[in-house]
Amino acid sequence: MIHSLFLINNAGDLFLEKHWKSVVSRSVCDYFFEAREKAVEPDNVPPVIRTPHHYLINIYREKIFFVSVIQTEVPPLFVIEFLHRVAETFQDYFGECSETTIKDNMVIVYELLEEMLDNGFPLATESNILKELIRPPTILRSMVNTITGSSNVGDTLPTGQLSTIPWRRAGVKYTNNEAYFDVVEEIDAILDKSGTTVFAEIQGVIDACVKLSGMPDLTLSFMNPRLLDDVSFHPCVRYKRWESERVISFIPPDGNFQLMSYHISAQNLVAIPIYVKQNISFFETGPSGRLDITVGPKQTMGKTVECLVVTVHMPKVVLSASLNATQGTYNYDPVTKILVWDIGKLNPQKLPNLKGSLSLQSGAPKPEENPSLNIDLKIQQLAISGLKVNRLDMYGEKYKPFKGVKYVTKAGKFQVRT
Amino acid sequence: MPYFGSEEMVKELKRALSNPNVQADRLRYKNYITKVIRYMTQGLDVSALFMDMVKASATVDIVQKKLVYLYMCTYASDKPDLALLAINTLRKDCADPNPMVRGLALRNMCNFRMPGMTEYIEQPIVAGLRDKASYVRRVAVLGCAKMHSLQPNTEIDGTIVNELYALLRDPDPVVVVNCLCALEEILKDEGGVVINKPIAHHLLNRMKDLDSWAQSEVLTFLLRYHPRGDDELFDILSLLDAFLQSAHAHVAVATLRLFLHLASAHPAVQADALLRTSAPLLATCGAASRELRFAGLCHVQQVMRSQPGLFGMHYKRFFCGYSEPSYIKFRKMEILVELVNDENVALVLEELRSYCTDVSPELAQAAIAAIGRIARTYSEKCLDILTGLLALKQDHITSAVIQTFRDLVWFCPQSTAAVCQTVEACVDSPQDSEGKQALLWLLGEHGDQISSAPYVMEGYIDGLKTELSSAVKMELLTASVKMFLCRPAETQDMLGRLLHYCIAEEESDVCVRDRALLYYRLLQRGVEETRKVVTGPKSDPSMSVLTGRQEEPIRQWASTFNTLSPLAGRDLCPQTAVVSAADQPSSSAEKELLPESTDVTLSSPDDTEEEISLSLGPPLSHETFEKMWLDLEVLHRQTLGFPRPRTAPDTLQAALQLVKIQTLAFTPGDTVPWKAYIYTRSTGTLILAELLQAPGSDESLVVSVKQQPVNQHAIRVFVSILKSVLQTPNADSS
Repeated sequence: MIHSLFLINNAGDLFLEKHWKSVVSRSVCDYFFEAREKAVEPDNVPPVIRTPHHYLINIYREKIFFVSVIQTEVPPLFVIEFLHRVAETFQDYFGECSETTIKDNMVIVYELLEEMLDNGFPLATESNILKELIRPPTILRSMVNTITGSSNVGDTLPTGQLSTIPWRRAGVKYTNNEAYFDVVEEIDAILDKSGTTVFAEIQGVIDACVKLSGMPDLTLSFMNPRLLDDVSFHPCVRYKRWESERVISFIPPDGNFQLMSYHISAQNLVAIPIYVKQNISFFETGPSGRLDITVGPKQTMGKTVECLVVTVHMPKVVLSASLNATQGTYNYDPVTKILVWDIGKLNPQKLPNLKGSLSLQSGAPKPEENPSLNIDLKIQQLAISGLKVNRLDMYGEKYKPFKGVKYVTKAGKFQVRT
Repeated sequence: MPYFGSEEMVKELKRALSNPNVQADRLRYKNYITKVIRYMTQGLDVSALFMDMVKASATVDIVQKKLVYLYMCTYASDKPDLALLAINTLRKDCADPNPMVRGLALRNMCNFRMPGMTEYIEQPIVAGLRDKASYVRRVAVLGCAKMHSLQPNTEIDGTIVNELYALLRDPDPVVVVNCLCALEEILKDEGGVVINKPIAHHLLNRMKDLDSWAQSEVLTFLLRYHPRGDDELFDILSLLDAFLQSAHAHVAVATLRLFLHLASAHPAVQADALLRTSAPLLATCGAASRELRFAGLCHVQQVMRSQPGLFGMHYKRFFCGYSEPSYIKFRKMEILVELVNDENVALVLEELRSYCTDVSPELAQAAIAAIGRIARTYSEKCLDILTGLLALKQDHITSAVIQTFRDLVWFCPQSTAAVCQTVEACVDSPQDSEGKQALLWLLGEHGDQISSAPYVMEGYIDGLKTELSSAVKMELLTASVKMFLCRPAETQDMLGRLLHYCIAEEESDVCVRDRALLYYRLLQRGVEETRKVVTGPKSDPSMSVLTGRQEEPIRQWASTFNTLSPLAGRDLCPQTAVVSAADQPSSSAEKELLPESTDVTLSSPDDTEEEISLSLGPPLSHETFEKMWLDLEVLHRQTLGFPRPRTAPDTLQAALQLVKIQTLAFTPGDTVPWKAYIYTRSTGTLILAELLQAPGSDESLVVSVKQQPVNQHAIRVFVSILKSVLQTPNADSS
């Protein structure tokens, strides 16, 4: 299925290759480089490239191209999702998935790739199982290892693999039994010039961190389950019970996992927490322009908006910006033409404002296109859709666990047009 | 600096690895081995260290073992004699009490890609298949496939195949799926693994134990299974029902494909499955990963070919985000064009309008072309927008708008008057050659409605010396002649100059000169004669049916659903993607009437259902043709329902050649019975055909087709092309 994998950085250096079947010459990447050159921006490289003898399926993540070589017909979504899983595993193991960390941990990377695929077929991809086969590096462990000379590899095979519940290993024991759930919602929205919503939806996930001994059977119920119509669950969730009773009943995997993800697209349910008043104009005469942006709270349900950042992709002709921010700091990078205004907490009494002039390349025509604003924000203790967890019950075990639910709302692809 | 002084480096490493002091210190020893691996992964040749590395494999440290194995697998094929030494160590490890070591050793031994390995690995693999640890069994199962690929031409070992079929009942789900994959590889020449009823039902019952990758693979294998009756079919479908809404897009899509395949006789079930999968598909279109989003969009596009209404209310999901990569934006625009209806047209157009000023000229042009497509149904609103875009005075936008106008006039003649008015008012002319060609075509074709047309054209004729593109020159010639026919007084002088320049003066391009000569001689024959040849229909006569897009049956695309071809099948170039129906309205009347035959060569064997084109290939000799004609059976015979074209033989031959059909022989003139032998190639098949007009009452042509190898789809395409070609001259003469 997946014949080989090449990792290529932004500059076009091939820094890692792995073959699961016969060795495919590096020259196959030339087709990729050709497409890469044609695309100009690394973002624009098409994910599937056809070559005379192979298909190259690639993903671009954290400035690295994961290029897989395929020789037979495969379901494309399968390969793309698998490559993302590889990247996620690296991230999980090394904290971040960058060229430096991969090069630093070359040995573990090869071990992981070897375990994840054999003869081109996925073997072990669940992080739970992988971590028992190959222990992730931690500062403490690498110190201990240097002193004692022991290794990162588990000496025993994962035990849980043959249990009736493949995602949970048997005989888990904790002194503190706890279960935490994070409801994280991201708002994807496009607002137009006048502030009306062109498009808005909420992508939500419930991340769980469950550290419970034995074989607990959990039931999670919501105050308002009717909100959720488009959901998908971790394989451990009993779908039949969700369909009939709208409760989530499951035997959890051990540790961190994503319990469910959902999607709310009905626009009347999507509250827009802030409004943006902006005016960016370029003068017909003279190489300059004006910029004036004000941000204020709209529907925040009484919570504070934090970590507010406004990013503007300026037209190519903008050379520099001399602005004045009433709150936070701004930074204009003349190379990438990106203006970043880091506001921080939004104070409803004194609205933050960024105002000033832009200087353009002299002689260049006035830019046709107005830049659009990307907003980043965070609201703690609030799920913007109004979703609320009612209660969590545990069956099957005797002890009393510690339970906690946290809500947070973030901006996903949140865009304001000008 | 690993690439310089590499020999020194290797020597130094060799010295260190063979130093007994280093060998005694486990940590230092391992560090050196890690170093070797690091150099190896950087592409440095460290194969000279093979002996020392083999020695290092005799250790209890699993990490060190893994590293050494990795090294051995890389260089085994270069040093087969040394690798044999390593095999003993590996075989010993295959009997280690620790299952991890057993599995590791077995896997790596199978990965040695060198001839003669089979005799060493066969016994450990067979032992591994019966190992009590599932980890070892997983490795051993795939080892069978690797062993087979080492010596692909030998006979298949029946005992191993039977053993693998038995292991399909293994309690470990990964072993089950690996068995399927291994059998598939080993039995490739016999058509792959056989899925019979017990196996199919066993797999279906195990589905929920599998991880998502395995589910997806099993679903693909199940495509081969044909249920015996409707009862069994619905049992299977209800077992799979929950997977339609799996959290993993690839499982949901694979399930949908299986549903479409199994329920091909039950359209209602198919429709229901599509409806239920629309939510996960839409979610994929909004996924965080841009590659997944792209794949989702491609699948949505396929589903829309049969069920355009399914995503109608979600059209806002296909609005482009500012920072999305262009390949996603192109797809989204194509989808938006399909989703337009009376309610959302204003919003969609407003949205597309904002893409027209995108920084990337390709995107801007694609957006303009998309508006042009919508204009075929909602011309008034779109023309307003397009006219507004001309006022921006951006070269690439102007050019794209003019091209869109040309296509619009061609497909939708009722908008001609408005377009001509706009073109008249447009002051700047396009700068690139496509734009120029489009403008010239408009001027030539509708010169009678654009009062300033001759003056614009005069500008081009005067600037001919600096024009580089010969395509523009050709278009200029055609347009001038057309213009001359409708407004002779204003055009005569400049047409003379143009022809003189192209024929007599320094025109180096032969094609342009020939075209000019052709028109010159044509004009010598008289104006009426010229008019008959040059002027054709002013709009597309065949496309009027196609403007409202028809719903295709699901089977048209179900076979390529969830495969690579819809993602890689087309170029990302916006022009071909959006205006695919008829690329360039060409000038000569004859060509316009012929169906487009594209020259796409197919590299993937799986999309034969999709697009079939004819090609000429090397010519056949009369003897070969005769021999094949006698050898083959008639596969298809059809009465075409019209008499043979009454044109000269060479006209007919030329017309056939245009659509890539080669003529071998004709009976001359009006002899009865009239016969013709023709042949063509298409995606790997050779099609031979005979045209016969028997001296009967209805005087209809009969075509008999023979083909090698058989491809019914290609025959259908061939006959339809042939029919339209033969009818063209008939239509002309009547």
